[in-house]
Amino acid sequence: MSRGHIVMQDVVKVYDPQGAAVMAVDHCSLEIEPGEICMIVGPSGCGKTTLLNAIAGFHEITSGRIVMDGELLCSTEKPKSVPGPDRIVVFQNGALFPWKTNLDNVIFGPVMQGKLSRREALDKGRAMMADAGLAGVEHNYPGEVSSGMRRRVEIVRALMNDPRALLLDEPYRALDSLTKSVMHEALLEIYYKNKVTIFFITHDLEEAIFLGHRVAIMTTRPCKPKKILNVDIAHPRDYSVLTSKRFRELIEETNEAVHEEALKAFQAGEKEG
Amino acid sequence: MEAALRVGAADGAIAALRETTPFGDASEALLQRIAAIARPARFSAGTRIYSANDTADDIFVVVSGRIEHVFKPEVGAREAHKRMTRGGVFGWAGLLLGQTQRLASVNATEPTEALRLDTEELVKLLESEPLEGPLIMERFATMIQREFTLPALLAQVRRLSGPLTEEMSSLRLTMYRLSLWLKSPRPYLMLIGFALFLGFWYMAVEVWKLPRFREMPGVTGVVKEWFSPEPTYGLSIYTAEYYQHIWMSVWRVAQAFFLATLLGVPFGLLLGWSRKFKEYVFPVFETLRPIPILAWVPLAIVMFIATESAVVYLAFLASFFATALNTMLGVESIDESYVRAANCLGANQWQVFRHVIIPGALPFIFTGLQISIGVSWFSLVAAEMVSGQYGLGYVINTSYMMVRYPTIIIGMVTLGIVGYTTSALVRIAGDYLMEWRVRELALAER
Repeated sequence: MSRGHIVMQDVVKVYDPQGAAVMAVDHCSLEIEPGEICMIVGPSGCGKTTLLNAIAGFHEITSGRIVMDGELLCSTEKPKSVPGPDRIVVFQNGALFPWKTNLDNVIFGPVMQGKLSRREALDKGRAMMADAGLAGVEHNYPGEVSSGMRRRVEIVRALMNDPRALLLDEPYRALDSLTKSVMHEALLEIYYKNKVTIFFITHDLEEAIFLGHRVAIMTTRPCKPKKILNVDIAHPRDYSVLTSKRFRELIEETNEAVHEEALKAFQAGEKEG
Repeated sequence: MEAALRVGAADGAIAALRETTPFGDASEALLQRIAAIARPARFSAGTRIYSANDTADDIFVVVSGRIEHVFKPEVGAREAHKRMTRGGVFGWAGLLLGQTQRLASVNATEPTEALRLDTEELVKLLESEPLEGPLIMERFATMIQREFTLPALLAQVRRLSGPLTEEMSSLRLTMYRLSLWLKSPRPYLMLIGFALFLGFWYMAVEVWKLPRFREMPGVTGVVKEWFSPEPTYGLSIYTAEYYQHIWMSVWRVAQAFFLATLLGVPFGLLLGWSRKFKEYVFPVFETLRPIPILAWVPLAIVMFIATESAVVYLAFLASFFATALNTMLGVESIDESYVRAANCLGANQWQVFRHVIIPGALPFIFTGLQISIGVSWFSLVAAEMVSGQYGLGYVINTSYMMVRYPTIIIGMVTLGIVGYTTSALVRIAGDYLMEWRVRELALAER
């Protein structure tokens, strides 16, 4: 069964602010295998979030097509896909609803869709939170727990819907490096339990190689894959990978490509974001 | 004999608990309760007390001997090894948020005596102590972070039920905050502030007789008049008329405020939610909004033949603008990510409105309502001065014309008190509806 198989073909996105067309994504083709962790690396503002927004259905594309599991999401004729619980976004700054408790956040999806009754959802939500090491914070509001814990709650909220793909938009960008390392292992642990396709955007090469099966290094505006790296380090991984020889080699192999793009982005004076 | 032994054991336990960081400053009564649930344990040298990843059930307090405590590497402790003697506390992983397993392995390196405390039993006990319980948990967190060199992220202890937890209703939360407030220096500073203000008034008018203040009623005169059973100018807390004025003003403000909320909130939500509606309506709204309420007086009298409705209308108008504008800003302030997240999770338009837009705008709505009740009083008094009978504005105005100066001050002070009370009621209603925000602010110690 192929689940969470995403194919992007010649995706183009042109922004047109004040009449001056800016090409954000240029004929980008990329295939993401079912159950794969695919890391998208590029400097800030290179257009990688545009790609994620197109898959999620937040923005229109100009031309090309994106297909998931044989189902057309968007194309030149139908430029905007409809956001839905089959591909859930985890946002850069986190989007847990601060007015709902962690548990109410977690059960939001199934209850809104009418897939589970509130009681069933509560049972499932409690079990999934306990599984992710979140027992004890169900009735706290997101604002009451640490940022690392909030990210975990947000991922559990997504997984409650049994999505085919998770789209992560630099979710750990705002975290300090110590919390980040805890979060990486937590994410992998969750991933090993729930094999979903993960489309993960970052500008941190180490993070990308540590987590990903494949790492796509993108060119800066317009955005398209410049180099695709197969990370031949076996999963499951843990933090000892970071000090392994192979990991260092892979970093060295790709560092230059990333640095080149970062330099280009810097010279072009791209706005971060 | 046996009883005496048990008492002796309890004394020993209390003495040992007293030497620990978390229980060091606890009251005698609490220590006795903790000692009562403690079970003694003995380990010979070289015994493994527990291993990493075991279930975290008991907490241990070292009474004598020596143990060695080694964290598993993933925990990220700055110092993985730690030796402990009398006064050491280990096995606290069960107190941490989201932890159910041991984070370390512990061996007795010498013959060791310890006290075992069941984690859940201890937590229950601490929950029944609303004053000391949270403090002890705090000390645990500090100890885990400082003495065990664990990252702050991990050293977060569980929250006790009781104050600030799920069973706590908003009303109790408010009471809890009130009790905290009474224990802080703030109310006493506030009293000093009032005393200084009244003192200055007294000195300026009655002692120094400063030029600007010569004609002003003095504080003693006003207080005497206000609390006199037979007031010189006919208005004090003993006259029925006084309450009639208050009641009239409160009743008018209440009508205006409820009407303004009933219409202003949906109107503001619509302004923020629908771009088209905003394009039609907002320019008109923004042209009318800056017109001072006094400028509406003639029109209000023409529109409403009865002065009563005219007065309410004026108070309503000011309230309505404040409420609608803030509600609109509230909707516009909502982070786009929340709406997108709700869409991703399969919510339809109405569900987004109900679960994201309304709660997301609530903090702004309540800011609007606070302003609204304020301007409602403001315009009411203005309107009462111009037309109408009864009401505090009317009292102030007629007292001026009839040269009853102390009564002016009585009217003003009463307005201040009643106005403050209504505004506090709005705030309490807001706290009740936005518990999440109250808790967030409480955590930020504000």
